[in-house]
Amino acid sequence: MRIFLAEDNLGDVVLIEEALRRQSLVCDIDHYVNAEDAIRAVEVCGTAGSPVPDLMMLDYNLPRGNGSDILAAAGHNPKLANVPKVIVTSFLQADELAQALELGASCLITKPVDFESFMRDVGAKIAELLKAGEESAQR
Amino acid sequence: MTGATTSFAAQTPLKETGRVKLLLVDDDPNNLLALQAILEPLGQELMLAQSGTDALRMCLDHDFAAILLDVRMPDMDGFETAEMVRARKRSLQTPILFVTAYRSDEQLFRGYNLGAVDFLFKPIVPEILQSKVNVFVELRRTEQLLRRKAEELARAEQRFRAVLEAAPDAMVITNKAGTVELANSRADTLFGHSREALIGRDIHSLLPAWECPDGGTPETAVQPTSEQRLTACRDDGSQFPAEITRNSFLTPEGLLITTAIRDATDQVHAEVRIQKTNLELEKRVAERTAALRYSNDALRQFAWAASHDLQEPIRTVATYAQWLSQITEGKLGARESKMLATIDQHSSRLNQLLAALRQYIQVSDSGQQALASVDCNAVVKAAAWNLQAMIEERGATIECGALPTISSLELPLVQLFQNLISNAIKYQSAAAPVIRITAKEGENCWIFAVQDNGIGIDPKYFDYIFGVFRRLHGAQKSGTGIGLAICRAAVERLGGRIWVESAPGSGSTFYIALPS
Repeated sequence: MRIFLAEDNLGDVVLIEEALRRQSLVCDIDHYVNAEDAIRAVEVCGTAGSPVPDLMMLDYNLPRGNGSDILAAAGHNPKLANVPKVIVTSFLQADELAQALELGASCLITKPVDFESFMRDVGAKIAELLKAGEESAQR
Repeated sequence: MTGATTSFAAQTPLKETGRVKLLLVDDDPNNLLALQAILEPLGQELMLAQSGTDALRMCLDHDFAAILLDVRMPDMDGFETAEMVRARKRSLQTPILFVTAYRSDEQLFRGYNLGAVDFLFKPIVPEILQSKVNVFVELRRTEQLLRRKAEELARAEQRFRAVLEAAPDAMVITNKAGTVELANSRADTLFGHSREALIGRDIHSLLPAWECPDGGTPETAVQPTSEQRLTACRDDGSQFPAEITRNSFLTPEGLLITTAIRDATDQVHAEVRIQKTNLELEKRVAERTAALRYSNDALRQFAWAASHDLQEPIRTVATYAQWLSQITEGKLGARESKMLATIDQHSSRLNQLLAALRQYIQVSDSGQQALASVDCNAVVKAAAWNLQAMIEERGATIECGALPTISSLELPLVQLFQNLISNAIKYQSAAAPVIRITAKEGENCWIFAVQDNGIGIDPKYFDYIFGVFRRLHGAQKSGTGIGLAICRAAVERLGGRIWVESAPGSGSTFYIALPS
């Protein structure tokens, strides 16, 4: 399993890794800390040395851009067409959410303040998405 | 001179009450006595002279309506006397009646030549004498009356002129067609004409847009017209703004119109200055408003960014504190555990405050949004649904009357009721919370009431509680201290008003007036 993760909060990266561990999911994480780096990576996904991820997790507010910018770039890469894309953020305004969904995000995960909720909800959602992606790939 | 019809024609009938003077001349006192006796009943002042000389002397001092002159007198006879009476200017026109015993053509001819108006032949028939003299008495009286009327007329004319001259404005009197009949000296100076040049001219050469005012029939009284601003032309071709009022009055010669003209140049300049000042002021207000709006927006953006950017680190701190307490469970002493719990508690609280602050900024956002038809029953339902957990936990009851559908914005309305309901539950008394929501129609508005059975509020805090981060109870009650600030922001955003009625221990009622 391979996860494309755009997240500038390293604390959250560790929390996501912990949540995956608690779900007994073993994943390689390609981690980008700003939108520019993430967009560059999205553009070359599927070429040699850049494997296509099974799931894209995007924080919305990032340095040098936002989740929608990355989604827009991903829209131009056909290799990423069937990869589930999810916005993971602590807070999103209605118009930002609408734009993200328009650009191909499949859902929104709100980062819970409570640690237990974070482990349970975020972990479960990732597991669910990975499983759905796997099943659609098999068909 | 308004409606001064009487100044232009004497309408009272000619009637004289004063006595006139008659001069009787005869050398024979008996004749004089006889004449006097005949003429006495006429009631006039009779003066007697026994010689031509006496008669002439009296003619110097008095004006007589008529002179009865005996032809045959010693020294100076009647004809000689008449000749001399006629020679005097004062008595040039005085009617002379000769009294004679001889009826000769020569005498008649001479008499009439000297200006006699009649002859009376002796013996005198009293009735004839009386009626002949009476003619001259009446003639005299009529003449006197006419003279007095003429004097009165002259005085009235003088007064009228004086008024015209004293008027602060240029005054021009014209006929219906606009031909100038009279003008005061201010009109001359204002237009640069001499008065003679103005009279007979067309007023349109002075005021091209001048119009004869409406009305002016004999039956209707004419009111002065309201002030009118016209362009006026001087003799030298230059123009100036003038303010005119017109006033028409009927005369036997037809309708006359008085036009008062005032140079409005200064006034126009003043108006232009005021207009300029107003524009300048408006511009400044607009600039100031724009600057305020800019700084307001900047502040809002700052508050938004701050609340947003602070949220991330504090959420991470809270989560990690919880994680740490989970993995160290049973390994830490009571003191360390408490410290970790304090970090968790406070970071979670800061997180809550930031979320509330964001909500406040969002609801008070000045951004324009189109009003929609909103069913307030659905709004309260949505608010209650959002608070379901809290309502169940505290065993709260919400009694909602029939609420109207109003033209408003849904999100601020939901936030308004949600915060009021949650407030009512948070500050409950010992009893289970009961919240009653009703609405009644006010003047151009709906007044909603959210009534609770909670702990109530001291009236001195009625304003305080609507501020941001204002709390009355500290840690003993949960809450961010921003709920009522959100309510006020929401209500203000919707163009309404919010207030509270309460007393400690007897519950609170929040009232919201929203435009209907």
